[in-house]
Amino acid sequence: MSTVTADTHAAQGEHAHTSSFLKTYVFSLDHKIIGLQFLFSTLIWFSVGGLLAMGIRWQLAYPWRPMPLLGNLLAANEGGQIAPENYTMLVTMHATVMIFFVIIPILAGAFGNFLIPLMIGADDMAVPVLNMLSYWFMWPAFFLIGSSFFVEGGAAQGGWTSYPPLSVIQQAAPGSLEGQTLWLLGVTFVGISSMMGSINYMTTIIQMRAPGMTMFRLPMTIWGMFITALLQAFALPVLTAAGFMQLSDRMFGTGFFLPEGAMANNSPMETGGGQPLLWQHLFWFYSHPAVYIMTLPAMGIVSDILSTFARKPLFGYKPMVYSICGIAGLGFIVWGHHMFVSGMNPMLGMTFMVSTMMIALPSAIKTFNWLGTLWGGKIQFTTPMLFAISFVSMFIIGGLSGIFMAATPVDIFIHDTYYIVAHFHYVLFCSTTMAVFGGIYYWFPKMFGRMMNDSWGKVHFTLTFVLMNCVFYPMHILGMQGFPRRLADPYHYETFRNLLPLNQFMSWAAFLLMASQIIFIINFFGSMFFGPRAGRNPWKANGLEWQAPSPPGHGNFDFQPIIYRGPYEYGSPETDEDYYPQTQPPKEKPMTNDQ
Amino acid sequence: MSTFKNNNEFGSRLMNHGLRTICLVSSLVALNLAGCDFHAPQFHLNMVQMLSDATPTPKPYQEQIADVLDGMFGTPDEPFALPETGLDIRKLKMSAGPAWTDKKGAAFGLYRQHCVHCHGIDGDGQGPTALFLNPYPRDYRQGVYKFKSTYNPAKPTDEDLQRVLINGIPGSAMPSFSLLASAEIESLVEYVKYLSFRGQMETALTNYVYNDLGEEEITDEIGEPVLDDEGEPVTKLIPLDPENDEEQRTAITEMLAEIVEGWNEANEQIIVPEEDAIPTDVENLKALAASAAKGRELFYGTRANCMKCHGPTGLGDGQQDDFDIWNKAHKQFLDSVADGSGEPQLATEREEVAASLYPIRNAIPRNLRNGIYRGGNRRIDLFWRIYAGIAGSPMPGSGPASPGAQGTLTEEEMWNIVDYVLSLPYEDASRPQRALPINTELVN
Amino acid sequence: MKHFWSFLFFLVPVLGVATFVFAPHFNIWLPRDISEQGRTIDSLFMFILYLTGAVFIVTESVLFYFVWKYDGKSNEQPVLFSHGSHALELVWTIIPAVTLLFIAIYQMQAWAAIKMDPPPISYTCEVTGRQFNWDFRYPGPDNELYTLDDIVRTDGKLYLPVNEEILLKITSGDVLHSFFLPNLRVKQDVVPGMAQKMWFKGKKTGGYDIVCAELCGWGHYKMKGRVFFLPRNEYDAKLAEFSAEQNTMRVEVPEEE
Repeated sequence: MSTVTADTHAAQGEHAHTSSFLKTYVFSLDHKIIGLQFLFSTLIWFSVGGLLAMGIRWQLAYPWRPMPLLGNLLAANEGGQIAPENYTMLVTMHATVMIFFVIIPILAGAFGNFLIPLMIGADDMAVPVLNMLSYWFMWPAFFLIGSSFFVEGGAAQGGWTSYPPLSVIQQAAPGSLEGQTLWLLGVTFVGISSMMGSINYMTTIIQMRAPGMTMFRLPMTIWGMFITALLQAFALPVLTAAGFMQLSDRMFGTGFFLPEGAMANNSPMETGGGQPLLWQHLFWFYSHPAVYIMTLPAMGIVSDILSTFARKPLFGYKPMVYSICGIAGLGFIVWGHHMFVSGMNPMLGMTFMVSTMMIALPSAIKTFNWLGTLWGGKIQFTTPMLFAISFVSMFIIGGLSGIFMAATPVDIFIHDTYYIVAHFHYVLFCSTTMAVFGGIYYWFPKMFGRMMNDSWGKVHFTLTFVLMNCVFYPMHILGMQGFPRRLADPYHYETFRNLLPLNQFMSWAAFLLMASQIIFIINFFGSMFFGPRAGRNPWKANGLEWQAPSPPGHGNFDFQPIIYRGPYEYGSPETDEDYYPQTQPPKEKPMTNDQ
Repeated sequence: MSTFKNNNEFGSRLMNHGLRTICLVSSLVALNLAGCDFHAPQFHLNMVQMLSDATPTPKPYQEQIADVLDGMFGTPDEPFALPETGLDIRKLKMSAGPAWTDKKGAAFGLYRQHCVHCHGIDGDGQGPTALFLNPYPRDYRQGVYKFKSTYNPAKPTDEDLQRVLINGIPGSAMPSFSLLASAEIESLVEYVKYLSFRGQMETALTNYVYNDLGEEEITDEIGEPVLDDEGEPVTKLIPLDPENDEEQRTAITEMLAEIVEGWNEANEQIIVPEEDAIPTDVENLKALAASAAKGRELFYGTRANCMKCHGPTGLGDGQQDDFDIWNKAHKQFLDSVADGSGEPQLATEREEVAASLYPIRNAIPRNLRNGIYRGGNRRIDLFWRIYAGIAGSPMPGSGPASPGAQGTLTEEEMWNIVDYVLSLPYEDASRPQRALPINTELVN
Repeated sequence: MKHFWSFLFFLVPVLGVATFVFAPHFNIWLPRDISEQGRTIDSLFMFILYLTGAVFIVTESVLFYFVWKYDGKSNEQPVLFSHGSHALELVWTIIPAVTLLFIAIYQMQAWAAIKMDPPPISYTCEVTGRQFNWDFRYPGPDNELYTLDDIVRTDGKLYLPVNEEILLKITSGDVLHSFFLPNLRVKQDVVPGMAQKMWFKGKKTGGYDIVCAELCGWGHYKMKGRVFFLPRNEYDAKLAEFSAEQNTMRVEVPEEE
């Protein structure tokens, strides 16, 4: 992958250092190369995670039928039908790969690394070595979790939430043999990588802004990254600690999460006296903020794209910033809504219900402000804009369906059903991933100096948009019927028997959705080599990153950026153009007010 | 709000039909694209048996045995049963083949839907999931079943197998299948029997080939042995070819008849408790306690000696170093492979098979204080376990081994033990064991 | 087509609502409710559904309208140079806040009734989840669990009296499970080491599904059960039959064919 970037950069030729290829493109300290390394790695894992999802969809559409393509790899039975433990492995690893190897690193790692210094006017990250390490610490995780598919018993099978005792008692599930150990170690490495990144991002954003770049002139993307970094810094230690506790339960005979007399598969455990619910508290104390880690940067990206292509200032910049902060703050006191039926004291359920209801508020404010941004603009329907609008459209669905889950009595019924699956796929796939696609189309010229093909981008968008709704929207009504998640063969229940045809429809939509991503792959790599050259500012955008060369060389800017205004001054009466770059000095008096 | 859920027949039919058609067409396209990369599964030979010291079987014979078995029993997708087996081919077809559901919702390929991932396509108890289960799933191929109503060496009745399917085997990974339609359960029982027949036939053929066929010296036209360069007589294997060999055909027919006979007479082998030994007032707690006290004496006594394995506390912590017959067969095989004994030309094959076997597991006596009994928790179930033992496991029977023989305990005593075992879960575990000192040497 | 994109986004509210409108006609909806608290839960669900549905329709339509109206190709108006509106921000902060708080407080009573106030009765049955079966232990004639006359059933069929308050004790033999009765709208995770209570009242006779709703291992999907609600007399007869069955000491030998 690095060779690809090598070519484009070599073509650029501006910053041909004497250093070796290895140092420039593999063990690079340049934030842009590291960002692209993250981008390529996560896109590869994205396709792996997608294939795992196809396995799930096949089993749900044609239970116990021989599985094509993946069958030889995953189906342990003769005749190509999947073995049930492999189905639980599929659901576990699909979520693990998508969350830990795709969404978190693509937002924070790829976009964060590439954009933060460019958007704040720094020449690189505060600590480039740490930045490089944060990428290379992903590789042990890639290796550990990738190899866990091939150990005895297969990869982890306890769900991505890895609830003990299933995950702790080695005999409880085949995946709890070696697979779970590798999983825990892998996730720990992802955590180390994220932690390094987050320290770096915070330092960079606080310390290295260009002259005039006040906190309230930062683009929303940077605000999203900044708050994300804060969330990671505070939440990750808990997950890491919990992971080590689970590891020690598994390997050194402690009993943090094992109750007295714990036993599974006729293999009694010698330790006990712990609490399975403790893990759930610790895990969700990280993983609920992690939900926002997976959303806030995407919200930032969408804010930037919407404003750029509506040719209009972002509506309510400060309320947007405050709501991001509000989400981050409230995000730490809502974890219990994952545990309403877990056996936790029901009194706590009430508290968590109120805080959870409240966290819907900042998201609502943001949505209204996005709509406000479109209001009265001159919308250009470029590919990134379409993805950004679809983010708003889909986020409304994902946000509203969350209210059902926050309502404790309703959650009793829909907990662990496809209603939840629909909800988080609307937030994570239909929203965040749309923002990621939008971001790639939007910043591709900056990354590679060439434009992506807009027509094929629109074909990709239309297919993705239509098909993903075909896949995920029906999950709501499946969930209404109580259709439980992670069930290899639900059709033996009388209640769910009639849902098979609908699932087959969804599965076919999913297969086509997967296939339509081929358009993106071709467009991505084709444009990298053959796309028309982009100038510095192909979108006529205000952001500081668009003032740098495309792609920016080492040190990013060929001039000292001085910032005069916020990034969203589109259609400003102060200038004749419909955009007003952050670095363009004002005509009359320098240094106007903050706006 | 349940009023919303009205039955719109037309709507659901339209949806089912439309979607089904679309899905079917596209799945055909996809299957073609995928190039149908799976093969119809085949039955495999019991290689442990083929390569064991007792009946080492050369490769040509293995193939011939497989051919004969194919001819008699078909393949997993296309099972076949000779009329003399008495198996119902329609029931078999319901369970065999890949899993699918017809338009009316009738399920087919039941065995692959519910059983195969543990019990394996051959019924060898070595499906992909089996490795992770404790205890291992049953290997049907010897026709030995643990939880049955008949004498130890006898086959189980159909009802016994059905009861296991309905109640599951609590304390193992075998779940209950009581929610399947009774026709489906019957079909599965039939299929399990079919796999047993096939496995037993395989064993019989292996023994037959080893005992009655083998190498024969080649003779020339006048009956003189043909010699090779070193003056040794040239030999060849007598082929197993029942199609062309009348004698072999008769022998095989007899073997099959014997196997079928064993299953058919299971109903005559049911252990019927003697009417006058059956306790009359189990509802009376006092009588029950008295009976349990007697049972307790027996439990710790040398005659019944339950304590030896089930332990002084009944926790199953007594002697644990024995094996059931399935693990024992594998262990013997592994030991002989490790010795390097046996036919040298089979050595590499033997090593391959040895490497593919699951780790040997000891037979762990049941913890009687759980109140969960694998073979069922009715009094009669416990009585049968004590009477006949558990076939295939180290648990011996205390009753006569076959009708008319002599047992170690009287039926009355067995009922006493039943009462004691049933009361064990509610007994204080720290209650001093009076009989303990006498029997300590047996425990150690 | 001129406004292709705006109409594409208009499909979201149209098809989104249509899905929910037509789902009942395809027999996909909340499963038949036979419990008391199910009514509360369903009406709360519907309340939130209508509320969020309204918000959904309004916001998605506004989105469509803006995307259609302010299409750069057709919109001749100059760009509205606005950085936001303080008043609007206040409006769309306060109204959702009040609504959300209202929903939260509105639900508390129902939550308390379902999860916090168990009825003062003795256990009807103990449910044990284990890999991979639901086992049921009825207290038997003496109405007390863990005595010799308990009835233990492992066939995954739970029998309960209809129209009576039922208190279940749910435990686990190994890992986490979740005892889920879709038709009664009750669900409770089963945690080893913790005995949980679950109470409800079934109002219609018949058999309903028991689902395991927490991943419990490879055989998660095998943890099927059925709960049967019977009139009191039939229920008593059923238990007596089970009790007798457990005490079976004779065997019927099938007739020779």
